[in-house]
Amino acid sequence: MTATAVETPVAAAPRRGSGGRRVPKVVWLFLLVPAAVEIAMVFWPALNSFYLSLTKWNGLGAAEPVGLTNFRDLFSDEVFRGALKNNVIWAIGFGGLSVLGGLALAVTLNRPRRGIGLYRSAIYLPMVFSLAVTGLFWRVQYQPDGTINTLLGAVGLSGLERQWLADPTTALYAVLVAAVWRQVGYVMVLYLAGLKSTDPTLDDAAAVDGAGAWQRFRFVTWPQLRGVNTVVFAVTVIDSLRTFDIVWAMTQGGPYHSSELLSTYMFQQGFTFLNLGYASAIAVVIFALAIIFIITYLVRATKEEATA
Amino acid sequence: MVHSELSRRGFLAGLGGLGAATILGGCATGSSSGSNSSSTTLTLQSSLSDADPKAALTKVVADYPKTKVTLNTIAIESFRAQLPTYLNSGNPPDVLTWYAGSVARDYASKGFLLDVSDLWTGDGACAGFSPALKELSTATDGKQIFVPTSYYWWGLFYRKSAFQEWGVQPATTWDEFIKLCQTIKSKGVNPLTMGTGSTAWVASGWFDYLNLRVNGAEFHRDLLAGKHAFDGPEVKKVMEYYKQLLPFFDPKGRSYSWQDAVTPLTAKKAGMYLIGAFVSSALPADAVDDLDFFRVPIIDSTVPLAEEAPTDGYFASAKSHNPQGTKDLLTYLASPEAQQQFIKLSKSSNLPTSQKVDTSTFSPLVQKGIKHLNETKQITQFFNRDSSDELQTTADTALTKFLDKPQDVNAILAAWQASAKKVLSS
Repeated sequence: MTATAVETPVAAAPRRGSGGRRVPKVVWLFLLVPAAVEIAMVFWPALNSFYLSLTKWNGLGAAEPVGLTNFRDLFSDEVFRGALKNNVIWAIGFGGLSVLGGLALAVTLNRPRRGIGLYRSAIYLPMVFSLAVTGLFWRVQYQPDGTINTLLGAVGLSGLERQWLADPTTALYAVLVAAVWRQVGYVMVLYLAGLKSTDPTLDDAAAVDGAGAWQRFRFVTWPQLRGVNTVVFAVTVIDSLRTFDIVWAMTQGGPYHSSELLSTYMFQQGFTFLNLGYASAIAVVIFALAIIFIITYLVRATKEEATA
Repeated sequence: MVHSELSRRGFLAGLGGLGAATILGGCATGSSSGSNSSSTTLTLQSSLSDADPKAALTKVVADYPKTKVTLNTIAIESFRAQLPTYLNSGNPPDVLTWYAGSVARDYASKGFLLDVSDLWTGDGACAGFSPALKELSTATDGKQIFVPTSYYWWGLFYRKSAFQEWGVQPATTWDEFIKLCQTIKSKGVNPLTMGTGSTAWVASGWFDYLNLRVNGAEFHRDLLAGKHAFDGPEVKKVMEYYKQLLPFFDPKGRSYSWQDAVTPLTAKKAGMYLIGAFVSSALPADAVDDLDFFRVPIIDSTVPLAEEAPTDGYFASAKSHNPQGTKDLLTYLASPEAQQQFIKLSKSSNLPTSQKVDTSTFSPLVQKGIKHLNETKQITQFFNRDSSDELQTTADTALTKFLDKPQDVNAILAAWQASAKKVLSS
């Protein structure tokens, strides 16, 4: 980009740009202060948690270095392994369902129709509630005498009634449904924006050539959504790994750790038991998972972009 | 505290302080008590964030004549998490609300707590308190480090009118109790309610009591201190008794919190609830007068009678800049007048620790509670207070699992022992 800019006849512009690079000192000062605050309050504590993960520390006195013991303990810790498994289920379930649901809704609601705005807002509405509120709301629905069991009973499916959040086989999925219910509207809005930026003439041309609705979506619309997909993927992975509040509000990881996620386990270890070293080790694992997912995806996405 | 004019220099100093705090390693590690307790002002850090107790303590503290006291009220979960940080900071709060027993002892063994032994001797404020309370307030080195100001009892709560309707009486022995449960069940009512959904710790109430009745208080304390195994024969016997109760629990209780589980009791859809006296705060006002309780039935009459009586109060920081002023404040908080005013204003069913408090104006239920505890030989508090919050979660996991799958009791106890061992050795 800069290369082409230099070749253009408007050479004055880049020169002015390079002249502008001699930034007044006061601007540097203004840049340095937020940078220092960022380093002191974000990066430095983050780095510290890497160090803490190699120690045993209860918040009192000096942290005692223990090498990789925390990580070794982690992988022999059944609760941690259960939480890791639940996180995988969560990432697939939460990511898959909210992306599929959001995309389907966006495609359905993309055509102008009467009252479409109402539908879109209705679906987006849950997003305005905080996750904790969503959790409390769904906890009421899941009560033994709550809406869900009442509905099941009313349509003659009382055999399916159960104590959704107290049953270890359903607790995680019950929370998952609540989380997807909220997330789906958000993903829908992202895809709606993406669909707006697709070229409708391509779609029309494909239709004239006799392509079916599915073919037009798969081969004409979908490739144009690549940019949005990157965003949706990153947002979904991060959201699913950082999921905490809704689980905490609904089950606190229970009954007996059956809906425990890495984040809830980390919180419990760190802030209820003050095993700060151990909790930091869990945090490091979460960080590693997030970064691996996102870096591999971004690398792939940029490669595709370069070859395309 | 820091509400003085916020000058730019002060602001920058604050920023520097924040930076220093983060350098120490993030939120939990920084000292977050910004209290600046000089010798003229004392700081009281309180975890009583519910409206009534908070207002009560505010009033009690405001009436303290000697020095100005700054009251910081912090929500209990943050308070619990930050407590080690408060005590360890360079400028700690002078007085803090918390629990007697093993929690206080644990902090005392780290040297964080002020020795208040002189309050317990001569004409000190706590000198007249019961020996059981003194024992709960004594550290392992024999010094007193805690000032108990109120406590409450546990019992099997029921509605008098409901028992009348069903034509049943409170039970005193285990066999009577099982018969009572069967009778109530035959009326189509769940004999017992218990909210173990979001408050799994409630399940420990029955565990504690059955252990106290079968094995006694001494064994119970030793068990929680790791001197006995959770998968040993004594605990297995306790679980045998627990198993007998399982058909009588309201099955929906496992989705309820302890407060939710009060609703069936109020509606007479459940018969009894083993819970602390704080249950009265969860009942509608008209049902409170109908509320009564009885002692958890005796299983083995050779075992000395023990009851749970969680004890609340204050301890002081060893690093207080004004130890004498701090002790004066504690003396005031422990005084009969302050206790009486606090209990009255906080509208709780708590009992005063001072025997000089005039209890004649208290409700009949509370008077019965006082008698209930006076009759017992030994006092324990509750699972978490007698051990730690971390050991409590091992109990929560084991006991809620047991409620679901009683046939797996041996595997559950073995897993409990393994996780308890890990907690106790860490």
